[in-house]
Amino acid sequence: MCGTDGHNLLEIEDLSVSLRGNRILEDINLQIKRGHIHALTGPNGAGKTTLMRSLMGGMPHKGTIRFLFQESNRVGYVPQFLEFDHSVPITVFDFLFLMLKKMPVFLGRRRTVRKKIEELLAATDCSHLIDRCVGQLSGGEFRRVLLAQALSPKPELLLLDEPASNIDEVGIRHFEEMLINLKNEQGITILMVCHSMNMISRVCDAVTAVNRTIFYDGPTKGMDHADLLQQYTFL
Amino acid sequence: MDFIYDIFKNWAAQGYLPSIFEHTFMVRGLLAALIIGPLLGAVGTVVVTKKLSFFTQTIGNAAMSGVAIGLLLGEPVDGTYAGLYGFCLIVALLMTFVKNRTRLANDTIIGVVLAQVLGLGIILMIVVTSQFNIHQVEGILFGSLITLNDQDLIALTVASVIVGILFAFNFNRFMLASFNRTLAKARGLSPVFLEYLFVTLMTVVVVSSLKLIGALLVLVLIVVPAAGAQLVAPNLRWFVWLSILFSTISTASGLLLSGRLPVPSGAVIALVSSILFYGALILRPLLSRGGPNQGEI
Repeated sequence: MCGTDGHNLLEIEDLSVSLRGNRILEDINLQIKRGHIHALTGPNGAGKTTLMRSLMGGMPHKGTIRFLFQESNRVGYVPQFLEFDHSVPITVFDFLFLMLKKMPVFLGRRRTVRKKIEELLAATDCSHLIDRCVGQLSGGEFRRVLLAQALSPKPELLLLDEPASNIDEVGIRHFEEMLINLKNEQGITILMVCHSMNMISRVCDAVTAVNRTIFYDGPTKGMDHADLLQQYTFL
Repeated sequence: MDFIYDIFKNWAAQGYLPSIFEHTFMVRGLLAALIIGPLLGAVGTVVVTKKLSFFTQTIGNAAMSGVAIGLLLGEPVDGTYAGLYGFCLIVALLMTFVKNRTRLANDTIIGVVLAQVLGLGIILMIVVTSQFNIHQVEGILFGSLITLNDQDLIALTVASVIVGILFAFNFNRFMLASFNRTLAKARGLSPVFLEYLFVTLMTVVVVSSLKLIGALLVLVLIVVPAAGAQLVAPNLRWFVWLSILFSTISTASGLLLSGRLPVPSGAVIALVSSILFYGALILRPLLSRGGPNQGEI
């Protein structure tokens, strides 16, 4: 296992985001511990995805975001969806080739890259999907392929945007196992936007509930689900 | 350029090529088709993936105004390059800027700008056609082998080489940036810069092909070969190469036919391209194995 448990990997201080005069996020103070799986939850429109985008440098903000990297200095990102025409014939191999290689995919030597991509897909139990078109994958398969791309090169911090959406219960359990393995075996710290209280309580070490400001931040152990959901309701 | 034309003329005289290539304008047209055809096919794959088909039509329509502006600025009637490339690039970059600065949908922005460039184009055309040779204007609108000159061929070659290199070098990045902006940023790319770069390259290749294909029909060679390839290609590699093949066959054979028929080259190229598309549609069950377009005909 890599890294040191108990120390922060990410520190956010007084973060605020405004869009067209509307305050989306206000006074966000948050620490993500190294080696933890940390959930970010809250009602729709609460600013969770905005916070993720701020972490990726894609959103103008006030305040401080501090990454305390020790190894790769790399953040892996698993988006909720891809915005492309699903009838375009992009296979899983093509998709990962685009990520990993500079040589144009239509000129590149596929055999030499194929082995590397198969190994990458094996890490998320989906090497059998290598020749399937991305637009034809089920929600669970698609999420595992997206997770595979985020693992190369190996990240220190993994950001996941609603990984449980559009996945059936079996797929969610499989995905959860992979996240726990990544944390335990590779020491990767994970921050994920998640609406499922069951998933949060099963895999996460800590949870932060946001609705423009933080209204809950603490460990999942001993967390009162009903109380948290009630706070959702009254916000 | 004459020695190149002479080679083709000799081949035509010896029977290796159809006799129509004894005419310089046909050789020039064939060279233009063989240079721009593959590039349009390749660029079309990214256009289709990024859902920018009607963006190219707006560029084509802006060319009317571009030619007129060039003429009014004093450019020669057979070489309005500054007006043409300048105005079309301004329109393309403006559309991208508006898209990035607002939450308006792509087709809404295209609709707004298309209306503006058409209105401006019609007004400027009326002003210009009273002063200049209307055939030059028709050549831009419908494509004309007769008005394609050596200068055009050189401009088209230079533009194609530059665009081709930059396009191939950035192909993976263009594709990746079109999937998800945050993901592209996470992979160290600048999606906004890549969007401007792609739009610029696309505009240059579209404008370069106007005299061969025509402003009203340029959309055909950007979209139809890629759409045909999309139907049968099992992966991205085949998608690009089939699109290049369909586009090259369309431009070359369309050009040959237009040399024998008294019709604009662009119109024949469009029809050949459409025949290939329907051919791909019919052959799809045989050719497409595991592709995403396996639905019923």
